[in-house]
Amino acid sequence: MALYGYAGKILRLDLTARKATAVDTARYRRWGGGHGMASALFWDFCRDKTIKDGRDPANVCCVMPGPFSGTIVPSGGGRCEVTGVGVGMDPISWYTRSAIGGRFSAMLKYAGWDGVVIEGRASEPVWVEIQNSEVRFRDATRLWGLDTWATQDEIWRLQRRRRGTRTGWHDLNDRAEWGAADQGRTTQLSAIMTIGAAGEHQTAHAALIHDAGNGAGQGGFGAVWGSKNLKAISVIGTGSIEVADPAALLAARLVVKEKYTASWERPDFWTWSRLGNLPRPIIQSTPPTPDRRPQSCQGCNNGCRLRFSVGYGNESACQETSWYAPFIGRLVKDRIKAGEINLKAADIVQRYGFNSFVYQTGLHWLEHLVEEGALGPGRRIHSDLPWSQLGTLEFAEALTRALSTRTDIGADLADGWVQAARKWGREEDLHTGALQFSYWGWPEHGYDPRAELEWGYGSIMGDRDTNTHCFNAIFTSVSAAVAYGLPLRLEAGELVSLVAKKLAPYAKDRPEVLDFSDANMYSEAVAQLVRWQQHYCRFWKNSTILCDLKWPDFYNTNVPSLEGATGSPDGGEQVFWKAVTGEDLSFEGGVERGRQIWNLDNAIWTLQGRHRDIVHFAPYLYEHEYEHGELFPFYMWPCRDGDGKWAYTDLMGRKLDRAKFEQWKTTFYTLEGWDTASGWPTRRTLEAMDMKFVADALAAAGRLGREGA
Amino acid sequence: MAENDTTTPGAVTRRRFLRDTSLAGCAVAAGAQVLLADGTLVIPASQGFLLVDLKKCQGCSTCMMACALAHTGTASYTLARIQIQQDSFARFPDDVFMATCRQCADAPCVRVCPTGANAPDPAFGNVRRIDPAKCIGCRSCVARCPYTPARLQWDHARQVALKCDLCADTPHLGSRGGPGGVQTCVRVCPEKAISFTATMPDQKDLHSYEVNLRDRAWAKLGMSVK
Repeated sequence: MALYGYAGKILRLDLTARKATAVDTARYRRWGGGHGMASALFWDFCRDKTIKDGRDPANVCCVMPGPFSGTIVPSGGGRCEVTGVGVGMDPISWYTRSAIGGRFSAMLKYAGWDGVVIEGRASEPVWVEIQNSEVRFRDATRLWGLDTWATQDEIWRLQRRRRGTRTGWHDLNDRAEWGAADQGRTTQLSAIMTIGAAGEHQTAHAALIHDAGNGAGQGGFGAVWGSKNLKAISVIGTGSIEVADPAALLAARLVVKEKYTASWERPDFWTWSRLGNLPRPIIQSTPPTPDRRPQSCQGCNNGCRLRFSVGYGNESACQETSWYAPFIGRLVKDRIKAGEINLKAADIVQRYGFNSFVYQTGLHWLEHLVEEGALGPGRRIHSDLPWSQLGTLEFAEALTRALSTRTDIGADLADGWVQAARKWGREEDLHTGALQFSYWGWPEHGYDPRAELEWGYGSIMGDRDTNTHCFNAIFTSVSAAVAYGLPLRLEAGELVSLVAKKLAPYAKDRPEVLDFSDANMYSEAVAQLVRWQQHYCRFWKNSTILCDLKWPDFYNTNVPSLEGATGSPDGGEQVFWKAVTGEDLSFEGGVERGRQIWNLDNAIWTLQGRHRDIVHFAPYLYEHEYEHGELFPFYMWPCRDGDGKWAYTDLMGRKLDRAKFEQWKTTFYTLEGWDTASGWPTRRTLEAMDMKFVADALAAAGRLGREGA
Repeated sequence: MAENDTTTPGAVTRRRFLRDTSLAGCAVAAGAQVLLADGTLVIPASQGFLLVDLKKCQGCSTCMMACALAHTGTASYTLARIQIQQDSFARFPDDVFMATCRQCADAPCVRVCPTGANAPDPAFGNVRRIDPAKCIGCRSCVARCPYTPARLQWDHARQVALKCDLCADTPHLGSRGGPGGVQTCVRVCPEKAISFTATMPDQKDLHSYEVNLRDRAWAKLGMSVK
C-alpha cells in the first residue's frame, strides 16, 4: 500500500561504525512525521535516556521532515524538525527540539528519505553525502575550521557544482561511485546543513545552519553535531513524493491563496492574520536598499526574509537582525548605516553557526557586568575583549568569535549562561533580573512570562523557551496598533470569540482561556489553553510540519466571516493532511495525536530526571514586577474586567506568585492525567493512548506516576 | 515539355514552392505542422507563452511543486516543467532564475524529435507538447534546447523527456489548461511573478520573456519596481 506523503524509509546513521541503514517509515506512521516520529525514534534508539547533556555519545539526534515537506501545503513545504537531548540548559539539558527552514527537508524527501537519525560519534570529523538512496561518509578534516558558508561552498566545489543561477542541468551520474542506476539530473544545488565554529567547539549556543540564513538555534544542536564529529550533511534528490489526492491538495492551496490571503489587486497591508499577509519580511532593522526581494522557505505562502543587492544580510530575519541594534544605536545615528551593521552582525552569527538568541537578554547582562566593573581586563571576570567598542562591527565579530571558540569569557559561557553566572558568583542576577534567562537556562524571548502566560507556562512545562507563536500575534498586533495609532481590526471580545472557535477540543468556545488578567492567570482555563497549544504544536505544527509563524490562523480579516484557515473545512490543517496522506484525520484527532507525542516527550524528560520540584521559573519572575526591557512600553492583551467585559489591557507591572503558580501546576498535571506530586505520566493515562510500552519503561525505571496522586 | 520533366526529382521549383507553401499556410493556419518537400518543418506558432518577473520571485518553488503535482500527481522538483534556480548567497537579482519554456516559434526541440512525439498540439493552441507514448527517450530535444538550463526535463524513472505544455495535460489541476485555460504556475504563485500572454514575445531577444509585474503594492512594501 502506498504510504502517501512519505518517502517510505528513514536513514539511520551510525557515526561510530560509519554505517548507514534504512528504517521502514511505516513502523512509525502513527506519530505522523517530524517531531512525533523523532520522539518515537529517540525512544527506540537512545539506549540511555538518563543522559543530561546532548554531547553525550549516547544522544540520538533526529533531523525529520514531515509529510507536508516537499509539497505545496502553504508554509509547510520547507520546514524540518531537529530533536535530541540539548546542550547548556539548567539544571538538566532536556530532550528538546528546534526547527529549520529552507530547502533541506524537501530535498531529503525527494532523495527518498523521511528523516535522518544520527547516532554515535565518529572518530574523526566527517560529513555525510546523500544522493538519492546512496549515502557516503566523507572525511571532513579539510572542512573542520571553515565557517558555515565556506563549508557549503567547499562541498559544492567537491561536488563539482557551479554556484549561481542560469547554470545548466547537473547530471548526477557524473561520478561512477553512485552505481549504474540512472540518478537523474537536476538544476538545484544540494541542500547542506552544517555547523560552524560554535558547533565545532561544542558550545551551548551552537546552531545548525543551512544556506545563508536558515538555522536551528535553540537547543544547541550545533554542539550535538560537533560532539559527534559531524560537520555537515548534504543531500540532493531527484525523486518525487506521491500524495493521496493531488487535485484536493492543489484546490486547498488555491483556497488559501485566493480566500485567506490578502490580494495584490486590493492589498491590505495591515491584515490581522498569520497566514494571509502579503510578504512582510520580519527584518528588524532598516533595509539598506529597496533593491531586494522577499525570500521564503519552500512552499511558503508569503516570504518572511529578504535577499539584497548589497551583498550582505541575505535570509537573516527576526531576532538575528536586531541582536546588536541597541548597542549600534548608541554609536550610529544614521538608520541606513545602523541597518548595515545590523545585517552584517547577522551575517557574523550565521557564519559562526551561533544562536544569537542568547544575546537577546544575555548581552545586556554582560554589559551590566562591565559597567559594574565585574567584567573586563583584570577584573574578577577577566576579559580581554575590547568592551569600549561595544556597538561596532569589529566588537560583534570579536565577541561572537570568543563565544564560539571557548576563548575569553566564551570558555565559561560555552556550557550554559546560567552555569557561568553561578561560576562567576553572579547567581543573584537571576533574582534581580539582570540576567533574564527565564526557563531551563534559556533567555527570555521577548514575550515575558509575567505578561504572556501561555508562552511562559508552556516553556516551563515543556523543555525550553517554547518558541511557538500561536497566540503572540495578539500582543504584537494590538500593541503595534496602539503604539502607531493604527485601527484595531478586531475588538477584544470579538477576537477571543474567533480564537476560541478554533480551540477544539479542550477550549472550544471558551474565550475565557485567553483572559490573562490577574484574576484569571492561574485558572483551569489558562491551563487548558497551554495544553491546547502544546498538543496542537506537537502534531500539527512540529510533526506535519507547518511553519510556526504562519499557523495556526485563528482570525483573518481577509475573510468576511473573519474566521481564519485553521480547522476550516476548505483550508484547514486536516484538509491538507487528508489530501497529502489520504488519512481522514479530524482537526481534533490531530490535537489528540499531539497529546500522545507530548506524553512521550514527558516520559523522556521523566527518565532524564524531571520532577515537579524542579519545574520553576528563574526567581526574578516571582520577585520583581515586569517593568522594563521591552521594545513596547506596554503589553496589550484581551482581558475581562470585573463585569466580565473584554478589553485590551496592559499586562506589564506584575510578577508571578510562586504559591499560586504551584497550584496552577497541580491543575495542569491533573488535566493531563499526570501524577500531581511528581508531574510524571501515569499508566492509566498512557495506556488509554495505547502507550503501554511507555508505562512499562517508566515503571521499570521506578518513575511511573502514581494514579490519583 | 512538362515543367516537372526537366527537373531533378524532389527539387523545389517555383510552382512547387508556391503549392507547398500555400498548402502549408492552410495547414499551419489550421494548427498542424507541415513538412515541406525540402525537409523544412513549418511549425505553427504557439498561442500562449509564460512571462516571468525575475525580481519578484520569492524562491518558494511552489510553482515547481505544483507543476509536477498537476501533471503527474506527485510532488517533485525534477518533474517540474518550470525550474526555479536560486543561490542563497548571491546578490539580488542574480540570486534567482526562473527557467520557463519559451514555446519557441522555431522550436528546435520539435524539429529534432525523430518520432514526432514533440509537436505542436492544435487542440491546445499549438503549444509544443511531448507525447510520452511516442517518446523513445533519445534526449535529442533535451540536448537541442539552446537555453541554459535547457527548458526540457528528463524523467529518469520513466526514461522520457518532458516539457511545458501550458498545462494542457494536467489531470490533477481541476480546470482546463493550455492557452486560453489555466496555467498552474501562474495561478499558484503567491507573488504573482508569472503571467500568461497570447502574444508571442520577440524571438530574437533573450530577455523578451522577462517582464516587470511589480506594481504599487510592491512599492508600498518598500521594494523597487524598477
